[in-house]
Amino acid sequence: MAELAAVVGIGQTRYKTRRGDVSMAGLLREAVDRALVDAGVEFADIDAVIIGKAPDMFEGVVMPESYLADALGAVGKPMMRVHTAGSVGGSTALVAASHVQSGTFKRVLAVTYEKQSESNAMWALSTPQPFAVHLNAGAGGYFAPIIREYIRRSGAPYNVGIKVAVKDRLHGARNPLAHLQLPDITEQEVEDSMMLWDPLRFLEACPSSDGACAMVISAADSVTGTKPPAWIRGGAMRSEPTMFAGREEVSPRAGRDCAADVYAQAGITHPRKDLDCAEIYVPFSWYEPMWLENLGFAGEGEGWKLTMEGATSLDAGGDIPWNCSGGVLCSNPIGASGMIRFAEAARQVRGDAGNHQVEGARLAMGHAYGGGAQFFAMWVVGADKP
Amino acid sequence: MQATEHLSQTFELGFTYTRSTGPVVGRFLTGLRDRRIIGNRGSDGRVLVPPVEYDPVTAAALDEFVEVGEEGTLVSWCWVNEPRAAHPLAKPFAWAMVQLDGADVAMIHCLEAPGEDALATGARVKVSWAAETIGFITDIRCFTLLEEA
Repeated sequence: MAELAAVVGIGQTRYKTRRGDVSMAGLLREAVDRALVDAGVEFADIDAVIIGKAPDMFEGVVMPESYLADALGAVGKPMMRVHTAGSVGGSTALVAASHVQSGTFKRVLAVTYEKQSESNAMWALSTPQPFAVHLNAGAGGYFAPIIREYIRRSGAPYNVGIKVAVKDRLHGARNPLAHLQLPDITEQEVEDSMMLWDPLRFLEACPSSDGACAMVISAADSVTGTKPPAWIRGGAMRSEPTMFAGREEVSPRAGRDCAADVYAQAGITHPRKDLDCAEIYVPFSWYEPMWLENLGFAGEGEGWKLTMEGATSLDAGGDIPWNCSGGVLCSNPIGASGMIRFAEAARQVRGDAGNHQVEGARLAMGHAYGGGAQFFAMWVVGADKP
Repeated sequence: MQATEHLSQTFELGFTYTRSTGPVVGRFLTGLRDRRIIGNRGSDGRVLVPPVEYDPVTAAALDEFVEVGEEGTLVSWCWVNEPRAAHPLAKPFAWAMVQLDGADVAMIHCLEAPGEDALATGARVKVSWAAETIGFITDIRCFTLLEEA
């Protein structure tokens, strides 16, 4: 990593069920305009634009980079589209960061979005192909058997997922941008909600949201704005195929390797101790304990204990709060969800996370995964310039 | 030698989507429903029709709407001698660039004419509205010549 880079501007829309009042371009611009103001820059100060969204069939928009060039102020500048399924928001941030770290660009705009209300994500996820097994199951149906295998191996009690569902919704109630606002949610209510894909109940799944998230990433000598920058201390991506014989699906190797890479760059030896908080891609409740183990916050089979002890809860005063913004369980504009994790980690170390701020947060992790838990993108951001 | 059989299968894939127009394109389409043509002014003062959400030069959001005329000038065209089923007109017609009075750029639409010989750059044209207008671009059924060139 040649050049040091930092997040100097963050902009998000309010996440909602439906934004019929704006076009896709208009939705993106809300986030972009806020990020530019946050960074104290204008389009003229941006050297390149990186855009990410979920797979084209989700929204039926092919080549968004072409349709959105003028709306994103990209005319006459390099523009690039990133495409890694659900992890795309994280990958987009990392591609923008590497544009700066390479020394080629001083200031890059990264933006991601999804208008789920105008999309067909459920069925576009599982397209029938000739001569292939058709898994017409949606994301929840795909992940549920993997979760069941985690429960079998770890001996976790049945209510771990319920605990996560309540915890993240209480976090989300602190965040005015979060889609679901459920300040009075109870474990009983989650348990009583409809079982969709055993063991995942309705209230243990993410919502479908419209929204966009944008960031301005600058080189160290081009930092702008009045808020402190979030220094990028490490970033990595890893991939593996969806299916192959012997694949470890409960704790994918790509996730473990990606985390190890990021920790090595950031000088992290004990993630739970060294990090102050983390924004981790948890679209279904049980992925919190699973990722706690995959990312090395807990030993194998021990992740659920952190959840049950309240270690990941801001409200319970936990030592390693996860998803203080409410996470994907509160807001899921798919293409943007990964970037929201990265942006919320940056907000924490900038001391700019409002009512979901972890007091004194200096080092935070952002994480995204996508596809059949096969694409991973992670970064660690810090308040201190390395 | 026996011919090799290559296994193949056709398949069809389709999904339904929704689109929201937003305040700018929405205003243009609502205008068509009312048989009015609305453009907007860019940062360089040009009137753009159809209107665009973001300025092509500065990327600024554009919100100064300008109503333009139903009549305009033919800038260029491409004659379609043998219309196909998907074309908007059944008889031979032109795809035309028409600069409406009050606009600084041309818009593309179909132009009804007795033949290609009747067309000339600079010819005056006017909107022919659909019998029923519903807020689609097809509310402009086509353009027609004001007088034969």
